[in-house]
Amino acid sequence: MAQSPQPTAAGSSPDEILPDESPDGVDLGLIRWTLSLTPLERLELLQDWVDGLTELRNGRVTER
Amino acid sequence: MAESPSVKFLGLLRVLLRHGVDFLVVGGVAAQLEGAPILTLDLDILFDNSPENLDRLLGALGELKARYRDPAGRHIEPDRSKLETHRMHLLLTDLGALDLLGSIGNGLTYQDLAGRTVTYELGQDRVRVLELAAVIEMKKYANREKDRAVLPVLQRTLEMKDRLS
Repeated sequence: MAQSPQPTAAGSSPDEILPDESPDGVDLGLIRWTLSLTPLERLELLQDWVDGLTELRNGRVTER
Repeated sequence: MAESPSVKFLGLLRVLLRHGVDFLVVGGVAAQLEGAPILTLDLDILFDNSPENLDRLLGALGELKARYRDPAGRHIEPDRSKLETHRMHLLLTDLGALDLLGSIGNGLTYQDLAGRTVTYELGQDRVRVLELAAVIEMKKYANREKDRAVLPVLQRTLEMKDRLS
């Protein structure tokens, strides 16, 4: 699974310049990247976030 | 303080599916599956409260060793009478936090929302997920601080999905 946001959005033209952030501060680049993933990859991404947060909350950080 | 287990989303879904439970994924996991990058620490499902489905659900909950997240630390297990009479069941399982909802929003049930779902393939499994527009409606109705906090991300995601489709 990819680990970092990709610069080009699915469905956008290569020449189109898309903003990375909305006026109200939403990370549009992150949304574009998430939308480019399959549903299973989106769930795995969420699982990674939760596992990382749980490790921090439990005071244990492992090499990933 | 005891360590908190990390919720295992796919594991929970697979147990429910293996038992043939009729349910819709709602809440934060539904939003994430629909492409909205938000963090949630539990799996919320809206279940069909037909007698046959409650049998299947109780089977799955038994396998998961489900019990209520009781602040007093009592061990209280879900049973048929509770599932039939209570709207919300905040459970802890061997695979993490699982919230069972008999209805959401303004009393909307599984049957009410079954037509507003998307079916996603997760490996070999297929799950029915509340569509993002409906997730937004439910968050607006709930109107808690944590719901309001994620609404901008959900709405921007919906706008982008609409543009891409």
